[in-house]
Amino acid sequence: MKPPSQIRRFLRHPSGAVGLALLLFFVAMALAAPYLFPQGPYKMVARPMLWPGQNPDLLLGTDSLGRDLLVSVVYGARVSLLVGLSAALASAIVGAAVGLVSGYFGGWIGDMLMRITDAFQTLPSFLAAILIVGLIGPSIGTIVTSIALVSWPMVARLVRAEVLRIKTLDFVQACRIMGMPDWRIMLAEILPNSLGPIIVATSLLVANAIIIESGLSFLGLGDPNMMSWGGVIGNGRSALRMAWYITMIPAGAVVLTVLALNLIGDALNDVLNPRLRKG
Amino acid sequence: MSLTDTSARRAPAARLALPPWARFLLGRLGQAFLVMALVVIGNFVIMQMAPGDLVTVIAGGADMTQEQMADLRARFGLDLPLLVQFWNYVAQLLTFDLGYSYRMNAPVWEVLSARLPTTAALVVLSLLFSVTIGTVMGVVSARRAGTLTDMGINAVALVLYAAPSFVVAMLLVLVFSVKLGWFPIAGLTTVSAGYTGWALVKDMAAHLVMPVTALCTFYVAIYARLARSTMLEVMDQDYVRTARAKGLSETRVIYVHTLRNALLPIVTMAGLQVSTVLGGAVVVETVFGLPGMARTAYDAVFQRDTTMLLGVMFVSSLAIVIVNLAVDLLYTVLDPRVSLK
Amino acid sequence: MSPLKPNRRQILAGLAASVAIPALPPLARAQGSATLTVATGPVPVYLNAALSTGGGEAAVSGKMMDGLLTYGEGMSPEPQLAESWEVSEDGLTVTFKLRPGVMWHDGEPFTSEDVRFSVMEVLKVFHGRGRATFANVTEIETPDELTAVFKLTKPAPAMMSALNAQESPMLPAHVYVGTDIQQNPANLSPIGTGPYKFVSYAPGETLVMERNPDYWDEGKPLIDQLIFRYISDGSTRAAMLETGEADLVGSSQLPTIEILRFQSLDGFEVNGAGYEHTPSIHLCDFNLRRPQWQDKRVRQALNFAIDNKWVAENVWFGLASPGTGPLHVQQKAFYTTEGVPNYDIDLEKAEALLDEAGYPRGEDGWRFSMVIDAVQYGEEPPRAAEYMREQFREIGINAEARVNDFAAYVKRVYTDHDFDLTSYTASAGADPAIGVQRFYWSKNIKDGVPFSNGSGYASDEADALLEAAAIETDLEKRKQLYADFQAVAMEDVPVIQLVYDAKKTITSTNVKDYVQGALSFFGNFADVHKDA
Repeated sequence: MKPPSQIRRFLRHPSGAVGLALLLFFVAMALAAPYLFPQGPYKMVARPMLWPGQNPDLLLGTDSLGRDLLVSVVYGARVSLLVGLSAALASAIVGAAVGLVSGYFGGWIGDMLMRITDAFQTLPSFLAAILIVGLIGPSIGTIVTSIALVSWPMVARLVRAEVLRIKTLDFVQACRIMGMPDWRIMLAEILPNSLGPIIVATSLLVANAIIIESGLSFLGLGDPNMMSWGGVIGNGRSALRMAWYITMIPAGAVVLTVLALNLIGDALNDVLNPRLRKG
Repeated sequence: MSLTDTSARRAPAARLALPPWARFLLGRLGQAFLVMALVVIGNFVIMQMAPGDLVTVIAGGADMTQEQMADLRARFGLDLPLLVQFWNYVAQLLTFDLGYSYRMNAPVWEVLSARLPTTAALVVLSLLFSVTIGTVMGVVSARRAGTLTDMGINAVALVLYAAPSFVVAMLLVLVFSVKLGWFPIAGLTTVSAGYTGWALVKDMAAHLVMPVTALCTFYVAIYARLARSTMLEVMDQDYVRTARAKGLSETRVIYVHTLRNALLPIVTMAGLQVSTVLGGAVVVETVFGLPGMARTAYDAVFQRDTTMLLGVMFVSSLAIVIVNLAVDLLYTVLDPRVSLK
Repeated sequence: MSPLKPNRRQILAGLAASVAIPALPPLARAQGSATLTVATGPVPVYLNAALSTGGGEAAVSGKMMDGLLTYGEGMSPEPQLAESWEVSEDGLTVTFKLRPGVMWHDGEPFTSEDVRFSVMEVLKVFHGRGRATFANVTEIETPDELTAVFKLTKPAPAMMSALNAQESPMLPAHVYVGTDIQQNPANLSPIGTGPYKFVSYAPGETLVMERNPDYWDEGKPLIDQLIFRYISDGSTRAAMLETGEADLVGSSQLPTIEILRFQSLDGFEVNGAGYEHTPSIHLCDFNLRRPQWQDKRVRQALNFAIDNKWVAENVWFGLASPGTGPLHVQQKAFYTTEGVPNYDIDLEKAEALLDEAGYPRGEDGWRFSMVIDAVQYGEEPPRAAEYMREQFREIGINAEARVNDFAAYVKRVYTDHDFDLTSYTASAGADPAIGVQRFYWSKNIKDGVPFSNGSGYASDEADALLEAAAIETDLEKRKQLYADFQAVAMEDVPVIQLVYDAKKTITSTNVKDYVQGALSFFGNFADVHKDA
């Protein structure tokens, strides 16, 4: 594995470059939010439902409570990316652990873990997330947990398949004969070699988590102390006839962010998983 | 998508000397049982973590006294030890009884059976349309790989793939209801019109166009991408080349030899779609005011209506297990190499 | 807001607008003119309001059931099942003469025994407020079939404001006697004496009622069929109203912004009349169990930091008026601002009070931290909490907002007492003794009971005034007692009253006469009709 060349290939990949540029834009937005708008997104600054451009100081206009929509969108990037990354990371870790153990040991442990994975995958996932967040109460913590809880099975299956393949390779057999303990073989030999698919999956998980978070917020299940794109869309729903820009501007932000992550996922897939390089 | 691995869904060979179909069925039943167990246990655990119960909800709207609330808890069985409550529910389920919703003051099944058809129609229609449209897009794209058409289809798929169903739903409402006035915004029928027969069907169809579209777009994108990549893969394989070399027409090659094989991952995906599309149905039923089961679950969360919530989860998980079974059977039809094992 | 009286031109414009909506077939209105469809929110547990005070029950009860009385403008009692009544000099005996010839929907005659049974065995036992309303009633004598004599231990002036069908419906004794009252099938297929008869109910979906041809008020009702459709999403109700799928939405059961839109939309009417019986207030309880809230200067400071007028204009979009005290402005007989401390926004004063109370700004600019707990019941309570958070930050309090769904809210505030300040809407009742006293009376600090005295406020002065007012039969003396109470409550500020809700009924302009005195949506709809 030669990371530098892969990074170069990724950057030369058209969708990789476009996706990365888009994503960086949103990341910059998220990081800069408190410096650009120290007053926070909840400040009511003008008359409600001012259209974009009606007041030159308010580039994107105001929402139905008179809050600056631009500030909401900028702060919304923080929530989306924060929830997306943490939920994806959590599900990648859980999924990888389950996949590793079940693939490496096989037998009844592996079987049982896979049955449980199957069962989790059969749950209607968004419905389950609504149930968890709705019942325990909306906060960043419960939102991330609920998303992770419904997304890890996909990683588990993927990692298990990888492990099953790698486990039969000569170098793993060699480690075994040398008497290396199981946990070291798993962590030091197998895991690094199955990172490719995990990274690709994680990039798609981030996208998926952002979609779930915005959906939850849209239904009124967002964290009330964090301005989220889904929440803005949900609040703007009743004003759709009078001020459609309130819903459509943050909707555009969601779509662009998810698009960026999908493009990155595609590029990563092409670069890291040469076996699957079609499509 | 490269992320769905089809090999893992086949059950490992059991060691008992049973005919293959029996072993298959047993495995499936086992899986169904596990899913149900997960749903019921999970629900009970989360419900315990939830602050407040059904009685707090009912009492909140009814100015009750402490004694009246205690009476209600006793009546609903909420004062029993958790394990007893759990056992009572399971015992009830075993007699195919989904229980009684004290919030609705009606048997759970009576409420759900009235709302199931709406959700089922949404799911089935969106499945049909997304598979058909997505596959056609993918096949066209694969056949013209590298052309402008291909690039156009890819771009459309990329955007659709990034748009959550509630965003699509809002956009549809804005454009087709508010601005153009083509479709009704809410409900399943125009009740006041009292349509019957063919007029009723037409009326319902008009009401369903936007909800089904909103549920479809994401999956159309998935199927398009999936169909395109598997088609390209299969078209590259020896037997297709042989078929071509034998001078069979391109259309015949595509539709008889290639597509049949390319359908396998699509069928797998369709199985998965059923479980994820139910979540989308919550949003779509909310936006379009459809009296469906998914929205019922959402309302039940806030009412702490445990039995109703369990009922929805139970019915939908059951549906998903049945669909998975159907997917397995379809596999054996599509791919002669796969048998029920 | 006065009801909009549409003129001929507006009606024509309204008709034109409805024809222009493509989803609506031109025939629909003519065909359905004998049917009135209501799109409504909370699903009732029972179909009568004798067993529950929930909003769903309140909305349907009066259609199928009657009460002894109904109320005209200014809450003046008017006859319904009781033709006349008489309160004795000492206030301890109330005699009702019942209307003769009234039949239950199953053909049995209505008698004084039904009154005794409904009050003593149902309302006093199962109805949340009924226990308090009829607490002083020890016995109801029935000297003949058409006379019911209430015997009281102490006078109960509030009782006379709580005898309508929404609050205290009369149930048929012959159907209920000897049964498990809460499980009686008639709770879901009611037999009443009301203007509409029960036809069918699909739980959580649709309630269908038809005209009662034998109604005692001859010639009424004017509608052949009355349908309640249960729709949990407010925006959907709005869409139904707009497309003609529904004719009426009551009690402001639409998103505020939609109500504003209907106000300016041709063919629709937004009417604020008929909610005197059910005024609601937006309240914020301080948790007096926590040390920082025990100093009344701190509570006053927070009240000075809030601009109630701004909240009424911007959070409630003008569909509310600024709160000034514990009584609702619509409780006209008792509401006053005279001699009541006033809390117009004054940030400097707020900061001074906090300094004085011993909470100076720290190094980081904060005096202390707090959480505002809003209930998720409509959009306004969370938004009001967001507004207060920003205001409190201005005066150096590090505030956060938290949204709780209904069950979580009740548990947090009334069971766990784990809050600083709340944000919720509650009814102020037909009479202050019914709806207001409960929040300020120390004997109503009850663990786990929703909408009891959540702040934990206990003041001998307030208790004495409230208890005296509850049994005072002389109106002028009663007014004075409540005036004194309002002054005490605003000096102590255990509760901030943000705004007084102004509930609205939203209808197509062709729907007429749904307001009857103090009632509209919660009335009996006997006069409602649709112009073709």
